[in-house]
Amino acid sequence: MIWQLDFCVLTLIVICAFATIMVKDLLSAAIIFGAYSFLMCLLWTEMGAVDVAFTEASVGAGVSTVLFFAAVYQTTRRVGVRKSGRMLSKAFALVAALLTGLVLVIAEADFPGFGDIFTPASLHVSPYYITQTLHDTNVPNMVTSVLADYRGFDTMFETAVIFTAGLAVIAILRRFKKEDRCDLPEPYVISAGYPDTIIRFVARQLVPFIQLFALYVVAHGHHSPGGGFQGGVILGASFILLAISYDFKVVLGIMSERWNVLLGNIGVLIYAGIGFLCLLLGANFLDYSMLSKILPATDKIMARSHGMLGIEIGVAIAVMAIVISIYLNIVSHGKYDKGL
Amino acid sequence: MDSFFIGIGVALCFLILLTLHRAIQGPTAIDRIMGVNVIGTKTTILLVIIGSIYHRVDMFVDIALAYALLNFIVTIAASRYFHHRKNLTSSGYGFKFRSEEDK
Amino acid sequence: MTIAVIMLTLAGLIFFFATTVGILRFPDFFSRMHAAGKGDTLSSLLMLLPLALYNFHEFDLANMLVALKVLLIAVFIFMASPTATHAILDAGYEAGIKPWTKKPEEESP
Repeated sequence: MIWQLDFCVLTLIVICAFATIMVKDLLSAAIIFGAYSFLMCLLWTEMGAVDVAFTEASVGAGVSTVLFFAAVYQTTRRVGVRKSGRMLSKAFALVAALLTGLVLVIAEADFPGFGDIFTPASLHVSPYYITQTLHDTNVPNMVTSVLADYRGFDTMFETAVIFTAGLAVIAILRRFKKEDRCDLPEPYVISAGYPDTIIRFVARQLVPFIQLFALYVVAHGHHSPGGGFQGGVILGASFILLAISYDFKVVLGIMSERWNVLLGNIGVLIYAGIGFLCLLLGANFLDYSMLSKILPATDKIMARSHGMLGIEIGVAIAVMAIVISIYLNIVSHGKYDKGL
Repeated sequence: MDSFFIGIGVALCFLILLTLHRAIQGPTAIDRIMGVNVIGTKTTILLVIIGSIYHRVDMFVDIALAYALLNFIVTIAASRYFHHRKNLTSSGYGFKFRSEEDK
Repeated sequence: MTIAVIMLTLAGLIFFFATTVGILRFPDFFSRMHAAGKGDTLSSLLMLLPLALYNFHEFDLANMLVALKVLLIAVFIFMASPTATHAILDAGYEAGIKPWTKKPEEESP
C-alpha cells in the first residue's frame, strides 16, 4: 500500500468517472470509460490484488470497451433529451442516490478498520488458506486454489452464467430472415473502409504470439497471476483483433456460429464432467483427490493440482467461445453479414 | 531507491492528469482516442514501477504485457469505427441515405 | 548500476513530459499525433530498459527471465504502438479533418 500513488490514482479515477457522465457524445463516453477501466486495474494492482487486476484489464479495459464501440456503431451517438419532466427525473435520481449513499455510510460505521487483523475473516478463514494451500494442493497461487478447488462450485456456476449470457445475446439479437422490419434503408457510405496493409501485416504477425501468451496464462495460473478466465478472454480478444483488421467473414470462417455455441457447451461440460468423474470414483462432487485413482503416478495432493488444471482449461474454452460469439452478434446486429 | 521510484510514479500520475485534460476536452472524438492510447502506455510503465517498489517484478510483468496488448486492440477497434461512420462529433449521421442522393 | 538506472529513468521521464506538453499545446490533430506516437514509444522504451536492469543485483536464472520478460514488453510496444498511431491517423484522415495552416498575413499599408 503506497499511499502517495493511491491518492493520485484515486483522484484520476474520480475525474474520469465525472467526465464519462458529463460528456454528451456516447462514443467519447465509451472511450473515457475505457480509460477509467485502465486506471481501476492500476488501483487493484497497487493494493496487491493481482488476479483481480488481470481480470479487470482483460475483461473491463479490453473486451468490454470493444463491445461498447460495437454497440455504438449499430445505434446512435447522441444522448436523447426528454422534452418534459427533466427536472422531476433529475430530482428523483438525486434523492435516490443520496438515500443509497446515506444507507451505505451508516452501514460502514460498523465495519472493522481497513486491514484490521482481529476480524473473524482474518482470524479463522485466511490463516487456514495461507498455511494449508501448499500442503493440501501443491499450488502456490492461493487465489487460484481458492477459486478452483476450495470454492469450485461457485466457479462452475460462474462459467454457466457466462454461457447463459452468450445464449441471451443470441436469443435477443440473432435474425435469420433476409428482409426484416428492423432494417434501415441501405445507407450510402462515402468510402467503405479500405483494407489497410500495415494493420493487416502487424495483426497477422501478432495473433499467434497473443494466442501463445493466452495459453501460457491459462497453464501458468498455478504459479503466477492468471487462470482460466483471463486466458480465455485474451484468446477471444485475439480473434476480435483478426475480425477488426481483416474482414468479418474471416473469423466467421474459422469460428462459425455452430462451433462457438458447441465450444461454449464443451467448456461447461468439461468442468461439470470432471466433477461428475469424481462422483463416479466414489467421492463428493468436485473432490479432485479421487482422480489419483485414474491418473497414473499421482498421489492425492498432485491429483488436486491436475484437477484444477483440467477445469481451468474448460473455463478458458467456454469463455473464448462466448466472447467471440457475443462480439460477432453485437457488431453485425444479428445478421452475420458485415461488421466493424 | 524505493522513494525514487515512488517519486517517478507520482510524476507519471501527474502527466496522466495532463493527458486526461486532452482526453476530456479534445474537440473531436479522435483526440480522445489518442489520449486514452497514451494513458494506456503510461499505465503499463506504472505497473512495472509498482512491481519494482514491491520487489516482486515477476508477478506484475504478466499483467503489464496483457495491458499493452489490450491497449493496442482497443485503439485499433476505436479507429475502425471511423471508417464506416464519418462524423467527428455527435451531430448528424455519419453517412448519407441513398434517397437524398437521388434528389 | 544504480547510477545508470537513475539516469535512464530520468531521461524517460523528461521525454514523457515533452510528449505531454506536445499533446496539450500543438494546434492541430495531426501534429498532436506526431508528439503522441513518437514520443510515447521512445519514452516507454527508455523507461522499460532501466526497470529490466534493476533486477540484476544477483545473477541467477530467475532474474534473467524476469528481465527478458520486461524487454519482451518493450519489443511488443515497439511493434504495436506505431501501428496504433497509424490506425488513428488513418481514421482522422478518413473522417475528413483538415490540416492546420498558418493564416496568410495581411498586407501592411
